[in-house]
Amino acid sequence: MAKIEIEIDGKLVNARAGEMLIAVTDRESISVPRFCYHKKLSISANCRMCLVDVEGAPKPQPACSTPIADGMKIHTQNEKAKASQKAVMEFLLINHPLDCPICDQGGECELQDVAMDYGSDVSRFTEGKRIVADSDIGALIQTDMTRCIHCTRCVRFGAEIAGIMEMGGTGRGEDMKIEPFLTEGIQSELSGNMIDVCPVGALTSKPFRYELRSWQMNSMSNIARHDLVGSNIYTQTYKGKVKRIVARDNDDTNETWISDRDRFSYEGLAHENRLLAPQIKVEGEWKEVEWNVALDFATRGLGNSVLNNHQSDQLGALASNTATLEEFHLLQKILRELGSENIDHRLNVKNLNSPIALDSNVKLVNLENMDHALIIGSYTRLEQPMVNHRLRKASLKGATVDVINAMEFDFNYSINSENIIAPNKVVATLAGVLKVVLESKQQELPDYLTSVKTDDVITELAEKLLAEGQSVIVLGEHVINNDSAASIANLITNIAKQTKSSTLNLSASGNSMAANLSGFVPGKGGLDVNAMLESELKAYILLDVYPHYDFHHSIKAIDALNKDGAFIISLNSFKDKDVANYSDVMLPISCFYETSGSHVNIEGEIQSFTASVSAPSDTKPAWKVLKVLADLLELPGFHYADSAQVTSEITHQSHKSHVHDENIDLTTKQGIQIIWQKSPYAVDALSRHAISLQATKIGQMNSASMNKATAKKLEMTQGDEYLGVPAIISETVANNCVFVNANRSTQAGGQS
Amino acid sequence: MNEVCFKTLDQKKSWSLKTYEANGGYSVWRKILKGELTPDQIIDELKTSGLRGRGGAGFPTGLKWSFMPRNADVQKYVVCNSDEGEPGTCKDRDILRYNPHSVIEGMAIGSFVMNATKGYNYIRGEFMEPFYRFEGALKEAYDAGLLGENLDGSSVSFDLYAHLGAGAYICGEETALLESLEGKKGQPRFKPPFPANIGLFGMPTTINNTESFASVPEILAQGGQWFADIGVENSGGCKLFSVTGHVNEPANFEVPMGIPFKDLLEMAGGIREGRTLKAVIPGGSSTPVLTADAAMAMTMDYDGIEKAGSMLGAGSVIIMDDTTCMVEALTRLAHFYYDESCGQCTPCREGTGWLYRVLKRIMDGNGKADDIDLLLGVQDKIIGNTICALGDAAAMPVESFLRNFRQEFEYYIEHGKSMVKG
Repeated sequence: MAKIEIEIDGKLVNARAGEMLIAVTDRESISVPRFCYHKKLSISANCRMCLVDVEGAPKPQPACSTPIADGMKIHTQNEKAKASQKAVMEFLLINHPLDCPICDQGGECELQDVAMDYGSDVSRFTEGKRIVADSDIGALIQTDMTRCIHCTRCVRFGAEIAGIMEMGGTGRGEDMKIEPFLTEGIQSELSGNMIDVCPVGALTSKPFRYELRSWQMNSMSNIARHDLVGSNIYTQTYKGKVKRIVARDNDDTNETWISDRDRFSYEGLAHENRLLAPQIKVEGEWKEVEWNVALDFATRGLGNSVLNNHQSDQLGALASNTATLEEFHLLQKILRELGSENIDHRLNVKNLNSPIALDSNVKLVNLENMDHALIIGSYTRLEQPMVNHRLRKASLKGATVDVINAMEFDFNYSINSENIIAPNKVVATLAGVLKVVLESKQQELPDYLTSVKTDDVITELAEKLLAEGQSVIVLGEHVINNDSAASIANLITNIAKQTKSSTLNLSASGNSMAANLSGFVPGKGGLDVNAMLESELKAYILLDVYPHYDFHHSIKAIDALNKDGAFIISLNSFKDKDVANYSDVMLPISCFYETSGSHVNIEGEIQSFTASVSAPSDTKPAWKVLKVLADLLELPGFHYADSAQVTSEITHQSHKSHVHDENIDLTTKQGIQIIWQKSPYAVDALSRHAISLQATKIGQMNSASMNKATAKKLEMTQGDEYLGVPAIISETVANNCVFVNANRSTQAGGQS
Repeated sequence: MNEVCFKTLDQKKSWSLKTYEANGGYSVWRKILKGELTPDQIIDELKTSGLRGRGGAGFPTGLKWSFMPRNADVQKYVVCNSDEGEPGTCKDRDILRYNPHSVIEGMAIGSFVMNATKGYNYIRGEFMEPFYRFEGALKEAYDAGLLGENLDGSSVSFDLYAHLGAGAYICGEETALLESLEGKKGQPRFKPPFPANIGLFGMPTTINNTESFASVPEILAQGGQWFADIGVENSGGCKLFSVTGHVNEPANFEVPMGIPFKDLLEMAGGIREGRTLKAVIPGGSSTPVLTADAAMAMTMDYDGIEKAGSMLGAGSVIIMDDTTCMVEALTRLAHFYYDESCGQCTPCREGTGWLYRVLKRIMDGNGKADDIDLLLGVQDKIIGNTICALGDAAAMPVESFLRNFRQEFEYYIEHGKSMVKG
């Protein structure tokens, strides 16, 4: 756009033709009051607070919706502008309660702030004020709609960003109410952002209600670790406790938004189920002890069970995907120094015979510029909300999205073709796509493709990828349940290469990218998790492992870990019955936001953070525990003063490229296929202990969905317990397939 | 009288295609279909005619039509605003009832000028009879091959639909009308962009009032100059005036612009029961009220009414005699705008309720000495600060009632009762 010059309050300013005036004043730090304007939402121009005087215009013009033109002269502070701004302020305040002392927004209220400049000391309004009845809209957002100033930011957020228009303006005039259209409450996985965008105390955080004033808290930058994005956040703390989390702008990752999981999981930190003191098991009884006693007990135990007998190959280390980069690094370093390569974090992957080797080679910001996306095995909306947000943006810009899933999901953008097939048919479908792609390029077919069948659906999937424009193939987390996971990944790699598509591997979430970066996988001669459990190792170090949730083969895993004779050191932040059963020593570690460390996101970006609060009670950051354990084991190279030194060691080491097994095997098992997924708010121990999150509809997701035919084969009816969760009979599920979403520990757990 | 929109009024089945055609109807449209008229010729004639938007704003129609990007390679729309809701206005209803084909032909001509092949007539929700009349006329026009695709073998196509509103005054505001037509809540859009660039479904759109469209065929049939000569300088042609209130024979009159107000009053049978004229709202409830003296001296044209201190608006003349309590009248008007504000933007949403409540309080006998200043202050803060003109419409009567009849308000506040009614 053409560069132009305009005059604001007598000052010449450069701008681009067609820009809205408020964008220019914001850039130039010229203060223009506003309520409805939000840089990431569409313009609505309804609050009228940003009225300014544009020379030549008979009426004052709203800065938010006035496109600038060359030579325009604008006054933001002259009498005319001020008169309009003060008029609007007076109107906004006549029906506003003015009960700031008992309003949760007090101190961080845009209305309160602007009223200081533009409001009057005395109200001329002596009529009765408007009162609006509130309805319960769910566990996360507290409403007080009497305070609402009808700016419609929350409405626009829902319609434009969340993709579900849950809030709307009903009624007319003074009686217009901002409320959800439905009575079920707010359902969006991004709903908490409505709290951030609400300029007043109409929508506030329910878990945080009446807790504190904003000025009482420290706001510290941190990184959320629940998914592969690593959303940037502020943790707001008071007296050593995280009291609230809000979004921190970063256009490369989460823009201005965060998922509800990232926003509300902090509640779990204060859960009574936290493991707060080191404990050792003496003659079958747990005993709370001092750290030095526990660590001494742990090192002696390791010595007796494996080290003293030179049986370090009988030692294994397992970690869940919540650990920090530094923790992964230190634990694998300890194992390797001791001479063991039995290291793994892929606890929930069904088939580890060959790794799911698929690179992610697209930036999050570039996802929105895609012309086409093929999503395989993912409900991106709930599993990776901020990745899905970018895909939605692409879709709104005109991108087509195809899906291959085992079940129909409620995407918040239009899906071009939704292919619902059982997991054992995915590999054949992708092989078909590759075949069509190769044929269209008149390339020779490898042997394994010659007898592969194709049909119209497969051809269309291929043609979309072959079409002009940039495509991305997204592989989701459901693939970890698939026996053919490795072949699926290899097929995608080949398809992507042939079609010049980007790829995005969302198959392992949390901080799994950090596990890969630090080499937290079995080395040469080492055992993977399934092999470890089968070989009944003599000692384990388990980092924040909760067996019922974390292992795909949870029953087998618990049985294996409970076998007599194995010495097990568990580092956990929460108590767990099974952990207590099989462990010999439990070391309480700090949780999210209580430790420094790093998250590695899907782009490979290392985002480091410091602890926002100190570790509660007798807990210690795991990196420190591991460092001391290494010292006690008299291992060299663990002289770190802080976690940043660990980070620097990792970034300076050369990273081994993993050897990929490029074999593609199209044979599949027949019979009923099961996809076992932790429900979106049960992905890690912290989320599972966040009671408000758990009270939402997404938090309550706990079901085994299957169609009628499958139910008949399994002799199931609606509500029967299947693998520990209630069965739901629904034709949205592929035939011969059960889709399990589990949000709580069950006696069945995952299975093979 | 009755030369344009009401041309067929005194004839049998005035709304039928037969009657319309017997009076020269569709001759212009047929000329267009034969390729004998160009868009530029039509725009020139309209400019010559001095036709100004009859919905209230008075924007020159020819100029408005020339703004449309007629050569843009996108779907364009013509929309007729028949959401006649301004208190005092009842002219468009009668055009739809008695001469619907003039609207159809006017819209068809407009569609040709602006190269729009689709049109909608948005009809006020309460207008059931006019709606069915218009639907009937549409059917006749389609059956006669006057609407549809490639009409008469030409390249001209025009499909026209009638749409019934749901009873919101605000949908008479053209962009709220577009929102409603799109199936959304009827709330005005901020401008720019204007509908000529981004209108219905985001496409270039021209919206005109029913009377404006209905005037077009006759103007083109008789010539722009003919129309202009009927009226006066700056107010071409004739205009429908709806005369209501305290007159003996309230009615719609299609008379030349510039007619003295007193003549119009005479046509409506004069003030009822021999009472005297007290006040006149000349252009619909949102235009400033005038005293009897000012009204009796004015002529009914844009400049004449402006000179008298008000606006021609939609030509909706509300007559009030000496039994009228101006406090009560203004309170009723304020309630209307309070009730009809869409609630979108702050000054109107909050201000209309404030105005009404203060007036209601005065009516309840609880007025305070500074209430008049308060009312003047509040209306002044609404004017010019809103997204659409409803805010101004709510505010302007307050200012003019208080300016012209202040003593009645002071009396009511002081005595707690009406100066007129006791």
